Amino acid sequence: MDALRERWLAIAGAALAVLVVVALAGSDALVIGVITGSAYGLVALGLVLIYKSSGVFNFAQGEFGTLAVYALYAAHQHVPYGVAVVIALAAAALVGLIVERVIIRPLFDAPRVTLLVATAGVSLLAIGLEFWLSGDRLLHNVDPALPNPDRITLAGIAISDQRLLLLGALVVLAALLGLFFSRTNLGLAILGASQEPTATELVGISVKRVSTLVWVLAALLGGLAGILSVPIGKTFTPGVLTTGGLSALIPGFTAAVIGGMTSLPGAFVGGIIVGVAQTAAPEFHFLNGVDNPGTLVVFVLLVAILVIRPQGLLGRTA
Amino acid sequence: MTVVNESVVEGTAEVVGIAPVSTTRPGLPFRPGPGGWAARGALVLAVAFLVVVFPLTQPGPDVQIFTQAVIYAVIGLSLNVLLGYTGQISLGHQAFVGIGAFASAYTVSVQGQSFWVAIVVAMLVGALQAFLLGAVSLRVTGLYFALVTLSYGLLAEQTLFGIDKFTGGGAGQPAPKPAGFATDHRYYFLCLAILGAVVFVDWRMMRTKAGRALLALRENPRVAAAYGINVKAYTLFAFVVAGVFAGLGGSLLAHNDTFVQANVFDFRLALVFVLMTVVGGLRNRSGVVIGSAFFALLGYLIDREYTFPITGWHLQIEKLLAKLPLVPDLTKEVAPLVLGPILLLVTITMYPGGIGQQLRPVGRWLRGKRFDRHDEGPKEVMVADVRA
Repeated sequence: MDALRERWLAIAGAALAVLVVVALAGSDALVIGVITGSAYGLVALGLVLIYKSSGVFNFAQGEFGTLAVYALYAAHQHVPYGVAVVIALAAAALVGLIVERVIIRPLFDAPRVTLLVATAGVSLLAIGLEFWLSGDRLLHNVDPALPNPDRITLAGIAISDQRLLLLGALVVLAALLGLFFSRTNLGLAILGASQEPTATELVGISVKRVSTLVWVLAALLGGLAGILSVPIGKTFTPGVLTTGGLSALIPGFTAAVIGGMTSLPGAFVGGIIVGVAQTAAPEFHFLNGVDNPGTLVVFVLLVAILVIRPQGLLGRTA
Repeated sequence: MTVVNESVVEGTAEVVGIAPVSTTRPGLPFRPGPGGWAARGALVLAVAFLVVVFPLTQPGPDVQIFTQAVIYAVIGLSLNVLLGYTGQISLGHQAFVGIGAFASAYTVSVQGQSFWVAIVVAMLVGALQAFLLGAVSLRVTGLYFALVTLSYGLLAEQTLFGIDKFTGGGAGQPAPKPAGFATDHRYYFLCLAILGAVVFVDWRMMRTKAGRALLALRENPRVAAAYGINVKAYTLFAFVVAGVFAGLGGSLLAHNDTFVQANVFDFRLALVFVLMTVVGGLRNRSGVVIGSAFFALLGYLIDREYTFPITGWHLQIEKLLAKLPLVPDLTKEVAPLVLGPILLLVTITMYPGGIGQQLRPVGRWLRGKRFDRHDEGPKEVMVADVRA
């Protein structure tokens, strides 16, 4: 009975999505929205990963990305772009490792809200360090990996290669992570550790090692989100992915909630939905005269999903 | 909470013969001598001097910063209700405070009402926001309150503060100081009195049925529910109380600056509020007040020039920080941003009781007990496997 209802809801959701797509067809909002949404989806993937394994909202996820962008910027001054990307990703992974070892591990048995405050603290520390080390010059420039601005044109809009790369990365990563969690032993170990830590320890899996792995993986995803999406806008400031120009953290969370906080494909779909809704917001006539209608739409989306369907579109009630 | 009747414990200990180190009258609980009372009185007087007399000697702009510290303490107590009593967190407290500030300024400047009406309006607005956002978040678990408030904070910053009628546009909304408290010094004492009232309300609230219910459900919602506590209703009640305090803090902040501008209330402010409450020490009123005041004054303390008596040495912490090698200057704007989170992380991972816990021996000493450096209060026990 419930399964049937779920299916109908899914179909209704899909129909609604198709309607929106038809309504927006040919407008810039759809194309740009899908691509902005991929950045949100990437952030959401990392959030879901950490939530699945430790039940924590990771407010530092955006900063993993920003720190990677700073590393990319710093490294690119000395080495070619490809090497700089590797260095940036390594830096993100290292930050994830340090955060897990120094902050998360000692708080293993603390209440969830303490961990939540801790991740917010990490986020603020990262922003503070970025402000400090930038000194007087807050705005920096960073080049995209693929500079070609208009290889293909869709609905009259030229799409840069960097944007395609971002979209492609999201699709590939979501698929890979899906396979990782269903097919590999390691993925199953992570799932087990999140659902039943004691039993997982009993069958010989170190829950703590799993936690380290998850944080490193999430930081890598965050870093990837940063170095792929920030160069599209070409400039960045401290905290760019958390509160700055791109502010992907809140849309990322909204995307993850839409996906039910535990579903990886859900995070992917949620990211696209949030991206399109946010980009399309200025075209809704009833929002005329409102500052930043996109922010309003994202907030309404979050509230609406919590009121109507708290377990998310693709989530299951545990 | 394991609250043990201390006199009973000490009494038994002495009967068994473990505790006494230098008791003058064996068999009776420890009482300080005249010298001890004098020392305790001197400390109380010193603190009172610092809070009441010292600001009178300072120029107006400095007093405005002290007033801000007092108001931050009100906001810290507001977050303490959430974070300390219910174990939920608001990452959008700058929005509660900011909207309270604008509501108050709007009531005074546009509606032409008195300051006292405005302060009530700000509190009601705060309550309403907290109630609505809380009701939405509690559809899932309280942790979602963090998310919803974070998103709400951004909404306030980017959209709500853009409503010119409400905020007076880029110039800001004027919020004059109330009649009778028009000088910075008088307003400082008004805020001090209000802080006292908030502390009193908070203290009495925790002694009611609702207060005990909150403490029980924070430790374990499931066990609390099993004892017949309506978890959602009481959590929502705490959200509303926090909203009222935050609105009050916003209103006071507005009339302290006499002009409310939207750009003050950004995301970083929300995180500073969280920092000061946690570093101050959750569930510890004096700790929260001290922590909040410390973070409000951090920039001032770094910037201020200290002159030592007799030697005539000058010291300015900002100049010291500017001499750090290799890195850019740690200015008074940036220093709280770097030092604050470090303090927070150290507090969380190593001293979860915050400043309040560190000061506990002093507080007990003041109340006529022996000074015991190792007295850290009842240990908190988390039941790890019955987490909600």
